[in-house]
Amino acid sequence: MAMPESLYYFIQQLINGLTVGSTYALIAIGYTMVYGIIGMINFAHGEIYMIGSYIAFIVIAALAMFGIESVPLIIVAAFAISMMVTSAYGYSIERVAYRPLRGGNRLIPLISAIGMSIFLQNLVRIAQGSRDIAMPTMISGGVDIGPHEGFHATLSYMQMIIFVVTLITMFGLTLFISRSRMGRACRACAEDLKMTNLLGINTNGIIALTFVIGAALAAIAGVLLGMYYGVINPYIGFMAGLKAFTAAVLGGIGSIPGAVLGGLLLGVTEAITAGYFSSEYKDVVAFALLILILLFRPSGILGRPEVEKV
Amino acid sequence: MMRANLKPAIISAVVVAVLAGLLLGIRLDQQGTTLSLVGAGPDVYWKIGAAAAFLFFFNLFRDQLSALWKGLPGLPKAPQKLVEVSHKPALRRLFWCFMIAAAIIWPFLSNRGGTDLGTLVLIYVMLGLGLNIVVGLAGLLDLGYVGFYAVGAYGYALMAMYFDVGFWTGLLIAGLLAALFGFLLGFPVLRLRGDYLAIVTLGFGEIIRILLNNMTWLTNGPNGIGGIPKPTLFGLEFSRRASEGMQSFHEFVGISYSSEHRIIFLYLLALLLVLITLFVINRLLRMPIGRAWEALREDEIACRALGINPTAVKLSAFTIGATFAGFAGCFFAARQGFISPESFTFIESAIILAIVVLGGMGSQVGVILAAIIMTILPEMAREFDEYRMLLFGLMMVLMMIWRPQGLLPMSRPHLELRT
Amino acid sequence: MKMAHKKALSQMIAAAALAGASTCALAADTIKIALAGPVTGPVAQYGDMQFIGAKMAIEQINKAGGVNGSQLEGVVFDDACDPKQAVAVANRIVNEGISFVVGHLCSSSTQPASDIYEEEGILMITAASTSPEITERGYQMIFRTIGLDSLQGPTAGNYIAQQVKPSKVAVIHDKQQYGEGIATAVRDVLTEAGIEVPVFEGITAGDKDFSALIAKLRQEGVDFVYYGGYHPELGLILRQAAEQGLDVGFMGPEGVGNTDISAIAGEASEGLLVTLPKAFDQDPANAHLVEAFQAKNEDPSGAFVFPAYAAVQVIADGIKLADSTDTEAVAEALRSNSFETPTGTLAFDEKGDLKDFNFVVYEWHADATKTAMTE
Repeated sequence: MAMPESLYYFIQQLINGLTVGSTYALIAIGYTMVYGIIGMINFAHGEIYMIGSYIAFIVIAALAMFGIESVPLIIVAAFAISMMVTSAYGYSIERVAYRPLRGGNRLIPLISAIGMSIFLQNLVRIAQGSRDIAMPTMISGGVDIGPHEGFHATLSYMQMIIFVVTLITMFGLTLFISRSRMGRACRACAEDLKMTNLLGINTNGIIALTFVIGAALAAIAGVLLGMYYGVINPYIGFMAGLKAFTAAVLGGIGSIPGAVLGGLLLGVTEAITAGYFSSEYKDVVAFALLILILLFRPSGILGRPEVEKV
Repeated sequence: MMRANLKPAIISAVVVAVLAGLLLGIRLDQQGTTLSLVGAGPDVYWKIGAAAAFLFFFNLFRDQLSALWKGLPGLPKAPQKLVEVSHKPALRRLFWCFMIAAAIIWPFLSNRGGTDLGTLVLIYVMLGLGLNIVVGLAGLLDLGYVGFYAVGAYGYALMAMYFDVGFWTGLLIAGLLAALFGFLLGFPVLRLRGDYLAIVTLGFGEIIRILLNNMTWLTNGPNGIGGIPKPTLFGLEFSRRASEGMQSFHEFVGISYSSEHRIIFLYLLALLLVLITLFVINRLLRMPIGRAWEALREDEIACRALGINPTAVKLSAFTIGATFAGFAGCFFAARQGFISPESFTFIESAIILAIVVLGGMGSQVGVILAAIIMTILPEMAREFDEYRMLLFGLMMVLMMIWRPQGLLPMSRPHLELRT
Repeated sequence: MKMAHKKALSQMIAAAALAGASTCALAADTIKIALAGPVTGPVAQYGDMQFIGAKMAIEQINKAGGVNGSQLEGVVFDDACDPKQAVAVANRIVNEGISFVVGHLCSSSTQPASDIYEEEGILMITAASTSPEITERGYQMIFRTIGLDSLQGPTAGNYIAQQVKPSKVAVIHDKQQYGEGIATAVRDVLTEAGIEVPVFEGITAGDKDFSALIAKLRQEGVDFVYYGGYHPELGLILRQAAEQGLDVGFMGPEGVGNTDISAIAGEASEGLLVTLPKAFDQDPANAHLVEAFQAKNEDPSGAFVFPAYAAVQVIADGIKLADSTDTEAVAEALRSNSFETPTGTLAFDEKGDLKDFNFVVYEWHADATKTAMTE
């Protein structure tokens, strides 16, 4: 093979970026769905992701204590329980902190959401302690891409799992939104909430459903990233949430393919910056990219331009 | 009626028990290199049980409770009266005089801790008033306000470190620098609307913080800048030993040294800055530009039709808001004596925004009241140190549900068409 | 009406302040020592090390009859290793009228807090902050019972140059005073010894993803990595390096040397080199203290446990020697005497640093044990 080393280096950074980007995308979908329907930024979404990680760790530790060692079983159980619990959290948060505030000034639910985010973060801190909790690697190994001598790119099995799960989830969600009855109701709500309500659709139920789906996706990201990095603490939700939100806006908030595209773009940009420039500046470049794109395409890459209503 | 509530009551109790039980009832425990689970103590289970029971009965009797709640002559009514009173000019002036007098006397009645807390409150009042221009009056959602605060603080700290600039010159420079940043940043982004503007300003706030963190050669990175000179009073220093060529306050006045003098001086200085801020903003509000801010918030399209240039008006609000953040930042740096990028995280922006919204957007008395509450509540909760931030978050949510219009909403005559 | 609000509020604050004051109203026979460090936050376990050491010392001294007839009392203050909170904590210590401080932990917290202590005449001994700058400002009230980065860096650098003998070394740090300080010292020693350092880069503390950095290290072909910082980041770097097949030696300062690094990195932490203060809990002379810690179910092996113990003891002995709790007299006594402590015989120089302190290189194992590589 005559491919130069620098190409493999680029491939490696691309793989790293896409891995991180996939999980940004999963969290970003939650933001985008909620925004698309009720036009509200759910700032507590990052904390849901964090809670998902914690639940996954608890499940994994519990199964290990019962002596269950089958990795696929553990992973499936972690996904299932974590998604169920975070869905319940998503539903409760919407019910308690957002539903009473709907319809007023849009700043009000935003403040409430920030408060909710602080509350959840500290709840977990008090309950679980602020220390890093670590878990041994469950899935190790991977495949090498490129020559055995010299530099080659590696793609770990864990990274493959992240890609595959992310892709399956996105296709599933797209199918759900475009084909199912409830998905159609969701789209109707996004189009015009009041009108949909008048047409006899239970909009409260649809909004709750949106929060539940978003929370479940955040849990998927939480489980995946928890297993990938192996370390969690109560503070991981904030930055992940911020990045995912950036990804959602980058892709055009309200658009699900946009959130995915934005997430991947953000992840790759960060990896390339860290790989060719310096890891210190990857966050600066990520936010600068956002600002640049918004300046030239004020509603994001795939977003629909806003229509001014009189 | 109770039967109708039984189902939601049971559901909510069960949901709470399960949610809290999993996350609070089981603890991940890292012993050496192994991860295991331990149950939390029985007191935690009791608390969870109590919370579930409370929710059950709350939901069961919610109709009765809300009837009871409505029957109460609650707090919500009182502020309304206050607002009416404050509309009478003479009373209004009297009220302000009282407020200012009380604020001036405060440090002499209180102890060192109380004065220090008062200074912190005044810093947040200044920040709240500044952000109030942008969010409350001009209706631009700015989530990166802390960036300008940081520019002001670092502007003074760096000037003092590299060029030996004193506090008063530094204050001016910090304000101008923050204004310049506000102007330059505002220029490209202000054509974005609503939430896009919010995220871009948030991005700017983060970029400023990360740059301060990374430009180690200039800003000392995460280690921050220490030894920032304290403010002086006409060249008099407030320290035990005056530096070269300076005179200290206690020597000049001829009293013995006490570190409390400086605390009181800082408080009064902060009060002066707040009063100047209030004065300037109130003047601006009566000028065409102030009217334009509010008009723009109410209806941008109508404004354009009336020949108001929205970009220029927005930009002026953004720049003036940033200037006050710069002043506050400079004062913060001087008071603290040490600053690091850690002090300018997003959560700080969120707190300032919460002050503005809690106060009732646009209302200056409201902002002052909210700043007092938001600063003093966490300090009072120091007793239960661990639960401080938890309660703070909970309070933000509950306040928004209880009084979404803020503590003292700005009232102005308005007509609305019912659609 | 409005006035009533304001007045009620001021009464509330005054009441709160009074409550604070009354809890610290000095009973004539206690001497308060503030224990300042992180109770919360990501490096809280280092705070624990410091607190259990200091509390044990207070307990033992009180059991032996206290200091000049007074009992010691430790009051814990949480700064979360955040410089802003450290300043707030320092102001609270001043408010409560406490004149002795053991802490803070992180150099970046200690530095701004020490400005206030010096100004207010409060005597501070840090048992964990290793940045040279802290004692380089001519302060009278600031001491420490641990060695300096400027000692630790060269110890590490020389060990790498003489024992490991790599050809290309990457030096990574977390940009904080502590980490970058040591990393810079290591780089300087290595460059002087003729070893190439192609990568000298900062990362952001709290980051989780280092895959891009590791790919870069692999491409540069480095065969040894020095990391200046704390264990949460190095643990992840080790773990991700193992997954990406970067098979080189790693080394770090005492901030990475605790059991959590093995919990995070697992097998990848095997063979990690760490510079640590001498393991005082292994010293036979301290056997009775180790037993006392174990009786309370506390771990005496943490790097800062014994230095914190020594710090409290030095304060107590200083008060005895000066025969007063006047901090200037105590500071004078500290400078002009030497003290027998579990960390050896301590004597302070003019700057407030220990005249003699040694770091030892250890090899870390995956089960979180360590073996000494140097004496």
